[in-house]
Amino acid sequence: MARPKTTLPVWLRRVSQSAFLILFFYFFLQAVYHPVNQAGSGVDFFFQLDPLVLLSSWLASHKIAAGLSLSLLTIVITLLAGRWFCGWFCPFGTLHQLISSWRSARAKDKLATGGYSRWQKTKYYLLFALLVACALGLNLTGWFDPFSVLYRSTATILYPMANDAVGASFGWIYQADPGIGPARVTAVSEPVYEVLRRHVLATSQPHFYGTTLLLLFFASALFLNLYRARFWCRYVCPLGGLLGVIGKNPLVQIRQNRDVCNDCRLCVADCQGGANPDAAGGWKPSECVYCWNCHSACPHHGLVFAIHVPGGKK
Amino acid sequence: MISSFLRWLEHFFEPQPAAKLDLKRRNLIVGGIAGVSTALLVRSSPLGEGRTFGPELIRPPGSSPEDDFLARCIRCAECMKVCPTNAIQPALDEGGIIGLWTPVLKMRLGYCDYECTLCSQVCPTQAIRRMPLEEKQKTKIGLAFFDRNRCLPYAFARTCIVCEEHCPTPKKAIWFEEVQVMTPDKKLITVKQPRVDPELCTGCGICENKCPIADRRGVYITSVGETRHPKNQVLLDPYAS
Repeated sequence: MARPKTTLPVWLRRVSQSAFLILFFYFFLQAVYHPVNQAGSGVDFFFQLDPLVLLSSWLASHKIAAGLSLSLLTIVITLLAGRWFCGWFCPFGTLHQLISSWRSARAKDKLATGGYSRWQKTKYYLLFALLVACALGLNLTGWFDPFSVLYRSTATILYPMANDAVGASFGWIYQADPGIGPARVTAVSEPVYEVLRRHVLATSQPHFYGTTLLLLFFASALFLNLYRARFWCRYVCPLGGLLGVIGKNPLVQIRQNRDVCNDCRLCVADCQGGANPDAAGGWKPSECVYCWNCHSACPHHGLVFAIHVPGGKK
Repeated sequence: MISSFLRWLEHFFEPQPAAKLDLKRRNLIVGGIAGVSTALLVRSSPLGEGRTFGPELIRPPGSSPEDDFLARCIRCAECMKVCPTNAIQPALDEGGIIGLWTPVLKMRLGYCDYECTLCSQVCPTQAIRRMPLEEKQKTKIGLAFFDRNRCLPYAFARTCIVCEEHCPTPKKAIWFEEVQVMTPDKKLITVKQPRVDPELCTGCGICENKCPIADRRGVYITSVGETRHPKNQVLLDPYAS
């Protein structure tokens, strides 16, 4: 059977995910010394959108940094429409989804691991434990908050490594000065390096202590995606858990056309959150990240997300 | 329309069907106990406000007192990214296991630039409070101490004024006492021996950073004297007669 074509919502999601991933790294690069004594703007944008940071810092310190109230927007969106934040915006989620795509493409393999597992409740219990500790004044959410993990790992591991690699590569080209006849590679590489040096690279190579532990945590989070699609989002992410609780009864829900369904379960194979899009009445809004993969995977166009009127016709 | 909206609101208070979010009460209790006991365990730690202070727990200027700092810091490392001298590092055990990946300053890698408040500008939870440059320049994050066994004028009768030259405060926090000392070939010479004025030193660490003794420096910063802790002090008034 030919695979159905990727549908428009999935493409829109990919565009949105890419845009926010790029935005994340753009804001990351803005956290740098601008003359005089001025950091770039937007550096804490993603943290401002993060209701877990809002909730934990309020519980633990009884104070809220001014910018954090922006995350009320995330809460309202999730309350009304579900965990779109995870599927369409979260840059860490995007990274997980990207790596999940390296898994075996065979539907049979994916089916074995795609469905809901009760271990997915771990994230809610982790969230609960973290928030209880916060209420007693101990704030450990930073260890697991997705933006904290991604920012921390980018700052201490990815960026220093990339900075070193880029600098060394262009340095090598400059030293070796390869070329054919009068045409020199440096004629191209040097202007490129100049742009990178000005806008992307660090003024001096950053070094950090304790990167082994940081890398162990980050690499585990990334490579567990090979075991289950979006492992972090399914089992660990306390922000995902929080949004799952907030969005447990959203107005936007899946609509399953049971008349055309022949239980091929291709939707489950592509499901990113383990939300059981196939089960009659068994779809789990708290697990669904609204990636629309099920909509795209269904050969009979039997699945769509639509406004769900409670008590109305299903 | 309104009635269906009300029905939707009602959903939040109804028992959920099994297919939805069904958290087990027992597991929630286990999670709660885990949270409470972690918090209690941390409160029983000897490292903490009013008990002991870690000498290497040097927080960025503007950091709130340790308990409040740990309640706010989300270990996002924005301060580490933005620090122009690379001084801010992820803590390992400086603040106990609970302070893992919170920011501490390592003066051998960098120092707190006198003209910079970037870490306080980017901190999303204001664990490092945003403050004007003038206030930051008066905020102490620690205090410098000379290791007389290693500092050149003390240990080897050599003149060295590197730390004093870099000291950024308007009136230098490092001053010299001119002392007659003996060289290995028994000549008496006069050297300048550096001393720290604890009133003026902000603990910025540029002296430790620039000290020419490459491995363990002849001058180093510890957290004592930091503005954020009224109890982590040397003396109330070091020069009271």
